[in-house]
Amino acid sequence: MIIKFWQSLGLFRRAEFLSPRDLLQRASAISVLFLVAHLAGLREFTSVLNGTVGSTAVNVKLGTFLAAVYILLYLASVILVPVLVLAALMLMVWQRCVRKEENFSGPRT
Amino acid sequence: MKSRIAKILAGLAALVVAAIIWLPCLHLLFARPLSEFRQNPGLSPKARQLAARHLQLWTEPALREQELKKMRASNAEWDFMGRSYLVWSLANMALRDPPSKPLYLQTMDQIIDETLRLEKQEGMYFFLMPYAKERHYLVQPAHSLFLDGEIALMLAARRVVEEKPEYKPLLTERVNVIVERFQKSSRMLLESYPDECWMFDHCVALDAIKMADYLDGSDHSALIRDWLAMAKQKLVDRESGLLISSFMTDGTPLAGPEGSSLWMVAHSLQLLDEDFARDQYQRARKELGEITLGFGYAHEWPKSWKGEANIDSGPIIPVFEISAGSSGMAFLGASTFGDGKFLRSLAATLDFAGFPSRTGGRLKYCASNQVGDAALLYAATLGPLWQKVKTGAKP
Repeated sequence: MIIKFWQSLGLFRRAEFLSPRDLLQRASAISVLFLVAHLAGLREFTSVLNGTVGSTAVNVKLGTFLAAVYILLYLASVILVPVLVLAALMLMVWQRCVRKEENFSGPRT
Repeated sequence: MKSRIAKILAGLAALVVAAIIWLPCLHLLFARPLSEFRQNPGLSPKARQLAARHLQLWTEPALREQELKKMRASNAEWDFMGRSYLVWSLANMALRDPPSKPLYLQTMDQIIDETLRLEKQEGMYFFLMPYAKERHYLVQPAHSLFLDGEIALMLAARRVVEEKPEYKPLLTERVNVIVERFQKSSRMLLESYPDECWMFDHCVALDAIKMADYLDGSDHSALIRDWLAMAKQKLVDRESGLLISSFMTDGTPLAGPEGSSLWMVAHSLQLLDEDFARDQYQRARKELGEITLGFGYAHEWPKSWKGEANIDSGPIIPVFEISAGSSGMAFLGASTFGDGKFLRSLAATLDFAGFPSRTGGRLKYCASNQVGDAALLYAATLGPLWQKVKTGAKP
């Protein structure tokens, strides 16, 4: 039911590569993954950045891996997501302008 | 096909333009007014939140145990330095916020007493890295200036805020040990580890001696003057003009000028020789400090020195050569010398890459640890303690 709702909005529909919808889908996917990592408490593991284990409950290798996952998703969500959204907006505006221009320059009936 | 290629090219161009717009704006998400990190007079919101987290660690033993266990797994020194920075921070906080002084003094006493108990019970190696046991100290009986200096400065800071008679003989004894060793050493260089001396530890120890003079009316000004003269002449890197970080007892350099200790050295020197301290800060700022796209950070070594990442520098991020250790300690330098622009940009980086975590009015940085957060707290509060000693106001 929920998936059908989202499908009706076109969020899960396969989009053309680097089209505005494709960029927004990628931005959404990164945001959701980051949210999941954040809610799972992976932020605690980022202490590997100063050489301290994030948690004594997991081994160092796993802790480092979880930290790397969190850091990459975080950087993607604060750097990449806004870039993807901005680019999508620019493309949408540009496409609208091109469409308008085409309509204006089309044959008059 | 042609139209598809055009669409992809348009998409790529949009991404490039979006990146050009967004990247210079990114720091605006994290930039805050300086007063949020450091206030004069009084305490900034961040200082209060960081302090609340540390005070919680000292009222909840299980939480403290867990935090210390994590740090000691990497470096036993951090357990000790976390205590020192917290005591020095609380001393400044007590002078900035007199109504809360009783709580701060109580915590300072608790930390000092526990640290002294552990040193006595477990021996000095408890707070040192394992390699301290691999060789014998050249001067016997073995003493580490790292421990003696920081403990003396903790005791002195406590007494500057408010006299505690029980600590007077403890400070005198600690200072006498250091002074006696300085006098016996032909080069005035004392070991922190076997035949390994640190600039950081010498400056902290000399601060403690200066504070003991202020508290108890002794006079070691000649010793401090001679040591500074020797350091300016023999312990400065010729290329950068920066003080080297570690050396052997005969003065042979072990490591060059390292950001992870230089910023604190400049802060410590401020109590001993203001002009020299400012000169070292300005050189460090020029050689090590950077601001890129609004984010401040610091390198571990100047361009003229090649070094490798170590336990003090922390991991070094390639390309930008960002050292976590040096960047954290840069807060101390920027705060000491009122470098608002650099401090603000460092604070933006901290909120961007330090992964702050707030619960119930308490703040910790997940990418940091207890010692890192305590050093940040010290940067947010330092000033009144040095000021009181420098102006000679009555203890």
